[in-house]
Amino acid sequence: MRFFLLTLSLFISFAAFAQQDRYQFDSNEQAVRFEELTKELRCPKCQNQNIADSDAVVAKDLRERVLALVKDGKTKDEVIDYMIDRYGYFVHYDPPVTPATLILWVLPVLIVIIGFGFIVIRQRKASVKQTWSDADEVMLNKLIKQNKRQEQS
Amino acid sequence: MNRKLIAIAPLLIFILICVFLYQGLFANPRELQTGRIGQTMPAFNLPDLMQDDKRWTDEQLKGDVYLLNVWGTWCPTCLAELGYLTELREQGVKIIGLYYVQSYDADFDGPFDMQALRDDVSNMLARAGDPYQFNILDLERSLSLDLGVSGAPETFLVDKNGTILLHHTGDINPRVWRAKFASKMQELQP
Repeated sequence: MRFFLLTLSLFISFAAFAQQDRYQFDSNEQAVRFEELTKELRCPKCQNQNIADSDAVVAKDLRERVLALVKDGKTKDEVIDYMIDRYGYFVHYDPPVTPATLILWVLPVLIVIIGFGFIVIRQRKASVKQTWSDADEVMLNKLIKQNKRQEQS
Repeated sequence: MNRKLIAIAPLLIFILICVFLYQGLFANPRELQTGRIGQTMPAFNLPDLMQDDKRWTDEQLKGDVYLLNVWGTWCPTCLAELGYLTELREQGVKIIGLYYVQSYDADFDGPFDMQALRDDVSNMLARAGDPYQFNILDLERSLSLDLGVSGAPETFLVDKNGTILLHHTGDINPRVWRAKFASKMQELQP
């Protein structure tokens, strides 16, 4: 068990953003806001990295601008809007719900509902009690006899 | 009927996924970076690339339809498009350069050498063609950031009122010009 936990712990990794030590903040709150923002904003050049992670020139510029805005006392939403104004929704990792992106939210729910619906309907069909009358019994015996005769001939 | 439908359902889903993924092959993920379209040119006050005492502001650019081409001598794709842009200039298209300085970072390159940059620019433009009326120097890339530029080359089409109509990422070539710019230019400059 201990070995298992140890192995499991190897799969956990902590992302380190050492460069943030370079920046000086007036308050801890600002430092936290800056860190959150640089993780949430996407680098427009190297598409699958956030701006904290990327070494592209534009990511560096965005970090500096986020720093300046945060030091200016801008709230998180204000900084995000500022960036969306310039780089489009693309720049934020948390896309807003618009008609174009609605499918991302609706589709998974729909698939789950349809899937469960399918299971429930099948279950219901299978659990319907079969009626079995004497006439059916007679018919069955007759068919079995017929079948046997056919096989023999 | 119902059975048949269930039997071909996997095939239908497979075809749908194929169509979706096939489209993805030709989609351009950079197409979305168009935060500034429909807005006016951001305010700026920046120096000229070639002349020491000359400065350019957004107000000075108003009154003309022009292309704002973000470029740099460090960028091979920019070099490749210079020829075609020069052709466009000869056809009467006004092209203004926004020089994107990539290497201005004291951490990497030491002090910035203005004269070396000017020589570099003159050499390249003499060799490959000079499409620019003039060049604006964006040393700290502040205007580039305000425009939503992520690299070079990028090109903006701006109308007489200073409204940004198009934002193209990548080089301008005859195909891109026909597909994206030509019709808009026709409307603006009949």
